[in-house]
Amino acid sequence: MKNKKCIAMLLAGGQGSRLGLLTKVMAKPAVPFGGKYRIIDFPLSNCTNSNIDTVGVLTQYRPLELNSYIGSGQTWDLDLSYGGVYVLPPYATADSSEWYNGTANAIYQNFGFIEQFDPEYVLVLSGDHIYKMDYNRMLSSHIERNADVTIAVRPVPWEVAPSFGIMNVDENDAIIEFEEKPKQPKSNLASMGVYIFTWKVMKEYLTADAADPKSQNDFGKNIIPNLLNDKKALYAYAFTDYWKDVGTIASLWEANMDLLKTPPEFDLTDPRWKIYSRTPVMPPHFIADDAVVENSMVTEGCEIDGIVRDSVLFAGVTVEKGAVVEDSVIMPGTTIQAGAIVRRAIVSEDCVIAKRCEVGESAGDIALIGQDTVLPEGYVVKAGLQVDNDAISRKEGA
Amino acid sequence: MNDVMGIVYTSKDDLTLRELTSQRAVAAIPVAGRYRIIDFTLSSLVNSNIHNVGIIAQKNYHSLMDHLGSGKDWDLHTRNNGLFILPPFLTRENGGEYSGVLDALKANFDYLRRSRQEFVILTNSDYVMNTSFEPMIQQHIKSGADITLMYKKATPEITEFTSSSKNDHCYLGIGEGGIVNDIEINPNAASYDNLYLNVMMIKRTMLMYMVDQVISHGSHDFYADMLRPYIKSGALKIMAYEEKGYYRRIETIRGYFNFNMDLLKPGVRKELFGANPVYTKTRDSVPTIYRGNAKIKNSLIADGCVIDGEVENCVLFRGVTVGKGAKLKNCVIMQDGYIEEDVELENVIFDKAVTIRSHSRLVGPGQYPIVIGKNITL
Repeated sequence: MKNKKCIAMLLAGGQGSRLGLLTKVMAKPAVPFGGKYRIIDFPLSNCTNSNIDTVGVLTQYRPLELNSYIGSGQTWDLDLSYGGVYVLPPYATADSSEWYNGTANAIYQNFGFIEQFDPEYVLVLSGDHIYKMDYNRMLSSHIERNADVTIAVRPVPWEVAPSFGIMNVDENDAIIEFEEKPKQPKSNLASMGVYIFTWKVMKEYLTADAADPKSQNDFGKNIIPNLLNDKKALYAYAFTDYWKDVGTIASLWEANMDLLKTPPEFDLTDPRWKIYSRTPVMPPHFIADDAVVENSMVTEGCEIDGIVRDSVLFAGVTVEKGAVVEDSVIMPGTTIQAGAIVRRAIVSEDCVIAKRCEVGESAGDIALIGQDTVLPEGYVVKAGLQVDNDAISRKEGA
Repeated sequence: MNDVMGIVYTSKDDLTLRELTSQRAVAAIPVAGRYRIIDFTLSSLVNSNIHNVGIIAQKNYHSLMDHLGSGKDWDLHTRNNGLFILPPFLTRENGGEYSGVLDALKANFDYLRRSRQEFVILTNSDYVMNTSFEPMIQQHIKSGADITLMYKKATPEITEFTSSSKNDHCYLGIGEGGIVNDIEINPNAASYDNLYLNVMMIKRTMLMYMVDQVISHGSHDFYADMLRPYIKSGALKIMAYEEKGYYRRIETIRGYFNFNMDLLKPGVRKELFGANPVYTKTRDSVPTIYRGNAKIKNSLIADGCVIDGEVENCVLFRGVTVGKGAKLKNCVIMQDGYIEEDVELENVIFDKAVTIRSHSRLVGPGQYPIVIGKNITL
């Protein structure tokens, strides 16, 4: 079989614990975003749009939702006879059975998968960012510069640089130093967690890393420093378009709100760079006589009778008469009953916010309601709090 | 899986639908914001566990082919069975156009012969209904009927036909035990209120035999030459099955308009979309965005729209833009309609991709909406 020039390995095993209740029942890449997407739609659609047709998705934490969402990969045109999307969970062998232990280890355990396609290059992606990126351009730059590894970087504000992996580069964009979360950063170029490896180099370094018992088997902590020590050709590839880490409740909320600005900070409507997602098979949404809908995003299956301002509503959301939803993200299948008020909140899938509930406040941190929660009538959730069915029964029991 | 296959006859050209069918079959007319008429027929079949479906295409079937593709959106892209599009073709006997259902069935005997299902559900596709055929299938098998015809009690809303479009409106006389004993074809004043829905169930081999018999005797009319004689002779057990759900046949511009407006009623939406999903071709549109000046009342709106104006009692399809200050009332705007700033529209149907420049005004009479054809810029 003809070899593949470049295949992608998408690291989707992380728990995303900073997303609190949102990732209690699903992995971070499966978290809904932007009215009809999930986070993983972005890297997968980027792959399809960049003509990278073979993607291994490495799963570990709560994979059920993710597995069923990816399915055959048809959504992203990744249901091919040779190539396509593959879900790669950890597995047992005759003499060992291991969980994925670190990002590099996860890929090392799937060398067999990669070798089937005999690629020249391997693209490493993560499933926790919202962005549109042409990986092909990055690959061209990798090939042009004859690099061993190319790392996508983007300038971040200096004050937040200490929370990123920072690349120090020379005038040719060659990486001379990598610092994981430096206290006094010398540069503001943050690693986006998008790497292109020349496969031969990846194979050599990941094999050596796997044999090192002291290693944490992590790209940032071990592999990149080792490559730098050996004076390998590492280059930075600058990306300056919209890119948002949605690893926290606040940043996930913000990224959703970015879609509502005029013009939007992040535009999903470009016909040449569509973001694909599984459709919910629902009729168009309906807006009733007494409804108010302003500066919001609404999608299929919604029925709106109440007031919706500055919010993102996912498929099948019902907002009853007299209910108010402001500055909020309401995920699929949730019902906001008459007289309930939701402000600055994220409400997860299939919740019921009963009559006269108050979720969130007009200022302060984002409130979060976990999946399948049924909030009793008149229940109040203050700013910044997280509530699900367990929390309610604990409170009632107390 | 049911031992039943489906054959969908996409109707002849329907001139009473004017611009809407100038470039497409009736079955391919866009309805309800994101569907084509045929989506309802196909979804009803698939939801009834029927996975071998042949679509008899007539003239202007490009738009239908484009919509149906491999059938994957209806889960009809399986290895055996699946979706088969059967357009007319030229042979020594055949002129490259079907003259009716009988002719079309005869031309596709190969497909019928090759199919393995015992029964066929033969249906038109010029109506909107989301039903399950399961109860009819059960009744057909249990009663030992040779043919089962689906009918519905005729009400004024359903029979709102114009006089010029009396094509194949049949009424059934139903006797004891649900046996069909009479059929009236296009009557001015029907003796019965049992409107035949152009949906029948029959054994595949029996259908082939009957079609062959009628055609070899030089007759060509499905209703007058085939159904009526068999019903009158009493040689076969022909049963009626009553459908009780929502049903509208789309035959006139007014009927089309009224159906879309009907969707603004919660009860109608519940009947059509509440129980079984209706599948359609996906377009990967983004959600609809409402800007600060949007005022929306009583409207059904699909994905991909950008709205900054006032919209009341409207159905907007995917990708419609409504500019600031624009006012839309009682309108049906199909895919990619572009309504610029300060435009005023009332009682208007826009076919796909119509653009109307800013400050224009277009108001149709309440009983008879204005239709603007595809791709026109006003």
